[in-house]
Amino acid sequence: MEFYSAFGNRPVRLSDATRKFAYDSLHCRYGRETAENPMVSLDHLDGFSELTDLQKYDLAIREICTHAPIRICEGEMLSGSATLGEAIRHRVPASFGGGSVFYAVSHLTTDFETVVKRGVDGIRSEVLASLEHHKGTDREPFLQSCLSCLESFAIWHSRYLEALREAGYEENYAILSKVPFGAPETFREALQSIWFVFAFQRLCGNWPGIGRIDWFLGDFLERDLAAGRLTLEEARELLAHFFIKGCEWICGGNYGSGDAQHYQNLVIGGRDGEGKDVTNRVTYLVLDVIEELGIGDFPTTLRLHKDTPQKLLRRMAEVIRYGGGVLAVYNEELIYQSLLAYGYPKEEVWKFANDGCWEVQIPGKTNFGYDPFDGLQILQHKTLRPGADFATFEELYQAYLTHLETSVSGIVERHTWEMLGKDEQGNWRWGDWEPCTVISLFEEGCIASGRPYFEGGAIYNVRSPHLGGFADTVNSLYAIRKLVYEEKKCTLSKLLAILSKNWEGEEVLRRYVQSRYTYFGNDDDGCDSIAVSLAKDFAAICRKQEGRCGYRIPPGISTFGRQLEWAPRRMATPYGRKAGEVLAGNCSPTPGTDKEGATAVIRSYCKLDLTEMTTGAALDLKLLPSAVKGEDGIAAIIALMQGFVTLGGFFLQLDVADASILRKAQEHPEDYATLSVRVSGWNARFVTLDRGWQDMIINQTEGRT
Amino acid sequence: MKVAEIQRFCMHDGPGVRTVIFFKGCPLHCAWCHNPETQSPYPQLLFEAQKCLACRACGECPQGVHGFAQAHTLHREFCSACGRCAALCPTGALSLCGKDMTPTELLELILRDASFYQNGGGVTLSGGEPFLQGEEALELLKLCREKGISTAVETCGYVSPALLEKAVPFVDLFLWDVKDIDDPRHLAYTCVSNKPIMENLRRVDSLGGKTRLRCILVNGVNTEEAHYTAIAELFHSLQNCEGAELLPYHPYGDSKTKAAGMTSTSHPEWIPSEETILQGKNALLSQGVPIHG
Ligand code: SF4
Ligand code: SF4
Repeated sequence: MEFYSAFGNRPVRLSDATRKFAYDSLHCRYGRETAENPMVSLDHLDGFSELTDLQKYDLAIREICTHAPIRICEGEMLSGSATLGEAIRHRVPASFGGGSVFYAVSHLTTDFETVVKRGVDGIRSEVLASLEHHKGTDREPFLQSCLSCLESFAIWHSRYLEALREAGYEENYAILSKVPFGAPETFREALQSIWFVFAFQRLCGNWPGIGRIDWFLGDFLERDLAAGRLTLEEARELLAHFFIKGCEWICGGNYGSGDAQHYQNLVIGGRDGEGKDVTNRVTYLVLDVIEELGIGDFPTTLRLHKDTPQKLLRRMAEVIRYGGGVLAVYNEELIYQSLLAYGYPKEEVWKFANDGCWEVQIPGKTNFGYDPFDGLQILQHKTLRPGADFATFEELYQAYLTHLETSVSGIVERHTWEMLGKDEQGNWRWGDWEPCTVISLFEEGCIASGRPYFEGGAIYNVRSPHLGGFADTVNSLYAIRKLVYEEKKCTLSKLLAILSKNWEGEEVLRRYVQSRYTYFGNDDDGCDSIAVSLAKDFAAICRKQEGRCGYRIPPGISTFGRQLEWAPRRMATPYGRKAGEVLAGNCSPTPGTDKEGATAVIRSYCKLDLTEMTTGAALDLKLLPSAVKGEDGIAAIIALMQGFVTLGGFFLQLDVADASILRKAQEHPEDYATLSVRVSGWNARFVTLDRGWQDMIINQTEGRT
Repeated sequence: MKVAEIQRFCMHDGPGVRTVIFFKGCPLHCAWCHNPETQSPYPQLLFEAQKCLACRACGECPQGVHGFAQAHTLHREFCSACGRCAALCPTGALSLCGKDMTPTELLELILRDASFYQNGGGVTLSGGEPFLQGEEALELLKLCREKGISTAVETCGYVSPALLEKAVPFVDLFLWDVKDIDDPRHLAYTCVSNKPIMENLRRVDSLGGKTRLRCILVNGVNTEEAHYTAIAELFHSLQNCEGAELLPYHPYGDSKTKAAGMTSTSHPEWIPSEETILQGKNALLSQGVPIHG
């Protein structure tokens, strides 16, 4: 049983049984089973079509909880499995007349803090109290739906208890008898409690992140260790089962974009409300598990700050070295500043986690969505249309900003449809949206206000426009400025004609723009200054949209792997790229254009005022295994993380990968089933990608290293 | 100062993340030179034929160096290294190796990565032979020291003793090249005797200069047991040496040899096998020499 590594053998600490469990889970044993059972059917329910949406939803959840297969994996220490395949596709896995009826909710981290502190019974009491308060109002149906979903949850829970008792899993049975309805008292209870609620949300099609797991669990572990109830080794096994069960959805199969991760992210380290670093033994156990299993779920991000323990930094570097891209880093201080500047209250910002990818949000309180779009497409299709002519570069750039603004405005326009205008007090009134009670139960604000997650119930409502194609756009603009307006080597119309012919017959000029200009990511102010302006102007455009609807409009820069889909559809670019060739991911340089190494890339990226990118801008760096060997390699990874924080980065994804390994995996997929590739927010096992995607990733890896 | 190249984010040229400055000019002529373009102290025209599109922009050379009768051929004997063709070449096939830079300009570049040096990193002067830059090398080292940048110098040791003595206080680590301990062989393969080199090493050591022996491993040339024993003896005779580092010969320098128009000297038989490298490591370790890198 080997788990993929880009760099030597991974250490072995876990029991053989746990390793075998991981191996099976990563090799699709449970995911395939899940895929075979896509949905429960609602067809047998008389009069279903006549019901309200909310009633339909409640029934769907009820049927799922009553009929979804119960799975107990051999030797599992935590129980509860999302066993319906359609849920993997972010839908409520219940069908009527052949298709699924409702979408589910992802891109958020739900409120596990309350689950751990008060148990689901605590949530139930809150629902009852709110129901009392809102009796006879239009809020009542939603609150009734909350009760109904909690009852369904209890049905599913009791089916598990039954099955565990029958199967002789006494310990699991005893623990699950207590949690998640009651509040947990031990480490294992707390872990089971989080897991079961998470599994329930997944069962119903929702794929949230977990948030700050070490902060939730650290005290439980310390108490157990002090009382001699648990050893560190046992705790590590338990935590490993948490990760392994997180992979139960993996079912292989060749999708275009592979079995990309399902927004289930963990956050570790960082400070608490008093400014004290929360790092504890759970933090290190999480790293132990990732180090040993190289497991793609859960992607885990460290909140790095100036007082992060040296020991933790070192462990991070050691684990990152094995590759697989599971670990990433937030610059905590910068994110505090960013959230404060945006207007989040001081007592909230320290709680930040993500939406399950890496976009920053206040977990358990935020109705979050993001709207990705490609800035390069706007440049190519709007600003540089055939016949476009600008007397100066500044004119061209201003035209581009106008087009960018139109796009962002269009995004916000769409979200205004979710509003019914303002009430007498000037508050936004939300229209009816798809039911999402299962998620509303675990989002602060919904129960108290009697409003669902999508209808203004959450404390914060955010729709974040995410600019993609950032480096490609910046590089295009820079090449045009140099070639057309500064060196006047060719006119804009001539350049556009050349691009429309995909540089055909213009190889000399193409090589000129490639080899003589220095692009974003080389720590050269010429091109980097355009990047700085574009980020600033994009942020200003988003600011102008604030107040148009009930959502806040914080900006971000990302592609989340979409550049792989965009690339075949983008025409040739002024910086020498031919049509269809690779594009830049997230806020990283265009592959092949960064020639000065990782520190220069970080410096270029950090020139942007990233405090203005409220939900984030990710940088992906790939290092060669040979570069990180020995003590020097560890030191280098630590130095990169520290420098990233000192210079004002936001989110850094460091991976160790080698194009030659990827090529071998193409030839012998069977030997590389657990090799995962990652760009921020997107993580898939390499062998499940189709050939075209694999090639693009290989090209990207080569360009970057 | 004559700079051949500057590389940022280097990991294996001293501790931590380092910016490495390769200077031009070297008093040795090692048969296995990995950076042949740094041997000459003068600027040199590099031509990478695989990048050339035969656009003939370089035809404007005042000396008529570039000929296009059949393939693009260079009559380098007429080249004055004025750099004009390199500035005109649209593909990057031509470049001029050897840029004049002042210590202050270099410092500015070195400081760019200061945020990444916090973990023991810094600057490494390499080459070529950095001390051939004379007083300016000293000045650069002093400037770095003032800014708190850790300094390492990779030296062949065949340099002015007076300059070395002055440099010791400003160098945190000497990466001291050990080509061969056997003097006749040293002379045969590097064109100079190692006696002055060894004297310099002891001089630096006695002044408290910290050193690391960087030993090139050339298969079949200096990979015998006796050589490792000699390295171990050398190590034990020094007070301030932190150990050795093994640099296996590789033929990658050859592409640069060709680009510089020099005669190709690739020796595949010199590449040590993994096994030979391990033997060397073990031989040194077993004689009490710590291995770095
Ligand atoms: S200018 Fe450059 S590309 Fe053109 S012929 Fe000369 S070397 Fe070749
Ligand atoms: S460097 Fe000057 S002299 Fe030498 S080939 Fe180029 S243009 Fe001619």
